[in-house]
Amino acid sequence: MAGQPGTDESRPAARPPGFGRRGPGLTRRDLLWRSAAGAGLLAAGPVLAACGSGSATPSASASTAGTPKRGGTLNFGRQTGPTQLDPANSIVEGDVYTLDKIFEPLYITNPAGQLVPWLAQGHTVSTDGKTWTFALRPGVKFSDGKPVTADDVVFSIQRAGSDPNGPLNFLDFAISSLKADGTSSVVATLSQPWAPFLSDISVFANAILPKDFGGQSASAFFASPVGTGPFTLQSFVKGGNVSLVRNPHYWQAGKPYLDAVDFVYISDDNQRVLQLKSGQVQVISTVPPTQVSALKADSSVVLEEFPSWAVDLLFFNEKVPQFADRNVRRAINYALNVPAISQATTYGTAKPGGSFFPPSLQYYQDVPTLSYNLSAAKAELAKSKYPHGFSFSLLVSSGNSQYVAAATIIQQQLKPLGITVTLNELDDAAFHTAFEAFNYQAMINGATNDISDPDEMASFQVDVKGGGSHSFWTYYDNPSAIDLVHQAETEFDDAKRAALYGQIQAIVAQDAPYIALDYPPNIYAWSPQLHGFAVNPGGAYRLEDVWLG
Amino acid sequence: MLRYAARRLAAAVPVVLGVAVVTFLLLRLIPGDPARAVLGIHASPQQVAQLRRQLGLDEPIYQQLWSFLVGLAHGNTGTSIYYKVPVSSLIWAALPVTASLVAVSAVFCVVITVPLATLAAARQDRPADHAVRVFSLVGLGMPSFFFGIILIIVFAVDLHWFSVGGWGTTFAEHLRSLVLPGLTAAIAIAPVLIRSLRVGMLEVIESDFVAAARAKGLRGPRVLLAHVARNALIPTVTLLGISIAYLIGSTVVIERVFDLNGLGNLMLNAIGVRDFPVVQGVTIVYAIAVVLINLLTDLTAAQLDPRVRLR
Repeated sequence: MAGQPGTDESRPAARPPGFGRRGPGLTRRDLLWRSAAGAGLLAAGPVLAACGSGSATPSASASTAGTPKRGGTLNFGRQTGPTQLDPANSIVEGDVYTLDKIFEPLYITNPAGQLVPWLAQGHTVSTDGKTWTFALRPGVKFSDGKPVTADDVVFSIQRAGSDPNGPLNFLDFAISSLKADGTSSVVATLSQPWAPFLSDISVFANAILPKDFGGQSASAFFASPVGTGPFTLQSFVKGGNVSLVRNPHYWQAGKPYLDAVDFVYISDDNQRVLQLKSGQVQVISTVPPTQVSALKADSSVVLEEFPSWAVDLLFFNEKVPQFADRNVRRAINYALNVPAISQATTYGTAKPGGSFFPPSLQYYQDVPTLSYNLSAAKAELAKSKYPHGFSFSLLVSSGNSQYVAAATIIQQQLKPLGITVTLNELDDAAFHTAFEAFNYQAMINGATNDISDPDEMASFQVDVKGGGSHSFWTYYDNPSAIDLVHQAETEFDDAKRAALYGQIQAIVAQDAPYIALDYPPNIYAWSPQLHGFAVNPGGAYRLEDVWLG
Repeated sequence: MLRYAARRLAAAVPVVLGVAVVTFLLLRLIPGDPARAVLGIHASPQQVAQLRRQLGLDEPIYQQLWSFLVGLAHGNTGTSIYYKVPVSSLIWAALPVTASLVAVSAVFCVVITVPLATLAAARQDRPADHAVRVFSLVGLGMPSFFFGIILIIVFAVDLHWFSVGGWGTTFAEHLRSLVLPGLTAAIAIAPVLIRSLRVGMLEVIESDFVAAARAKGLRGPRVLLAHVARNALIPTVTLLGISIAYLIGSTVVIERVFDLNGLGNLMLNAIGVRDFPVVQGVTIVYAIAVVLINLLTDLTAAQLDPRVRLR
């Protein structure tokens, strides 16, 4: 989960990336605007863990209309350009969604949010949940024609987990040993039973590279990388445009359909939309919410809001005495008309907030929340140590017009309680420095789950000691909720896990350590000649099934 | 004149140095940590401290400033924290874009200014003059990003004459992609030049030597171009020089609107992630460019006006 601001077309400078690392360009969370409409689609939930060995034919993409046509170059306009292509060291949009066309992991998350076997054809889990055996898909080759072996898998995942600067290295913490069993099977031994493991394995950081970079240095290897993905690197300007061409050795016969993909770096929101309309590019990422209704009405453009694992929240720093008071937080929650805030600040593109889990996330439950009720708000505040109100400062990233607008509405909506809000707007780099140093009272920020399993979000936002961020920099500490998070981590029974996460969401909704404002979708727009394009809730899109008509 | 130029260039050294030092200090005054920006939200305090050591950010400011200046003296602008490549390579990649944009804008400025100002001066207080003055006011009042978007929608999206944005790969594509941004930049600056040239020409028209030229039997257009314009041009050339220096700053907005990855976009992105070496490098390039343009302006004015003696 990252503190990162949302889309803002007015902001001139590039914006920090999503989960974690910041850099020029958008946050991955910006990609994660999600739609209300898509939520139902995902209710099926991911296939998780302990599912034994399967060999389903992979299909990562939505069904395509008509017969796919081979050939053509796709021009893809994106808000950030990649700076490097090392899976273990990447977190921003431009890097991640370039390298995932070149490198692939053992499992991936499909557009419906489900884990599907990819370079693995399946896996088995021992009854104690600590030994996981992955059977590699036969016949998979790297783009240099050499076969993928278990040694390559061991090398890649060990490297990702041990890279000290790897932004997602913590996802591999449970692995105590990783060994090749012959050439086509890999055995992972975990230090504890770990239910989210399959989901962890599916993250792009755990993508498979040739062992020891095929004998090259890391920098030489990533300058002309060799992977199993549908495309290989043709040319690459750091922070700029990238050209990919078809990998002739791709393991899915007949794919990819496209000859080449050119990722065009277009930082300005307006430019992306206009280049799509003029036909300079055929698909664009990060459509600004302000332009969504106009583009929906435009028959020359297809627009879709894909559900994401992202949520925008109002956070309280519990080191501030007022916010350590549960009644104060509950009073504020009751006083906020969340649907109105969500509608106004996202132009209706995002679903209004409820649970701190986004609806597309596995084990989301529509738990009762402290919905808008001014008399209940006044009653809660009367029970607190601050019955006549108080003042606080609300930190927002000035580049994020959605958050700034939300802050202004919150300021108005808290007036009836006698609570005075002053806005503290900082530019994004300063914003991050401030909240990560706990140098704030309340803030608006975004959180994103990087993998299909909700443990990442739950532990990051609830486990004050072990989660890595002191409950997303709030110091929220509820021992019974923390206990439930740990139980869910080692529980392999799907129904039981669902119940545990339901309880966690219900507790958090009543404690109100943070208030979910909206669930932003990933908004993409493309030309009607493009077929088979879909985005998963993590914000990733695969292009081997995409074709130009 | 060569000696003059050499002296002016020598005097530029403290200017550039001053800009470098001020930029360096300002960047460190504003909050925001590049190490955090690189490592992201999951980084532990130890990881951040480690990277800060690696980048030399834990050294005292004066020591960092000294290493920066020593590097600069050796022509080394450092390594980008974010892109992890030498700053100079980023600047060399972006410089042609911005330089061409400025050059094309300057050409458009002249092409717009000279005919319109001449027309207005020749037809003083008549409809043509009023029309030119209204045009100037509109150009002056309209924000360039707005005008740019209008141009894009009309000439790129609807008519497909030019590209919406981007830089292209061939020389022809570069030229084509510079027309709209060049025009946008020029429209923002031309009004000032038109007014200056028009007023200058009106003053010159009143002067005795113009009356003498007319008395000699020279025709109107020839008087206007050979005598009036030539003499009225001198203050306008100086103004054009200042405007081009100003233009370098305004390319930041125009590069954004037209998706040109020049120095302006490079600097904006670098500020966003506190990529100190890149911001410093680009600022120094801007400072050098402004100094050079001012020098060129003075030299040109001296060429146009024999009364000016450069010492």
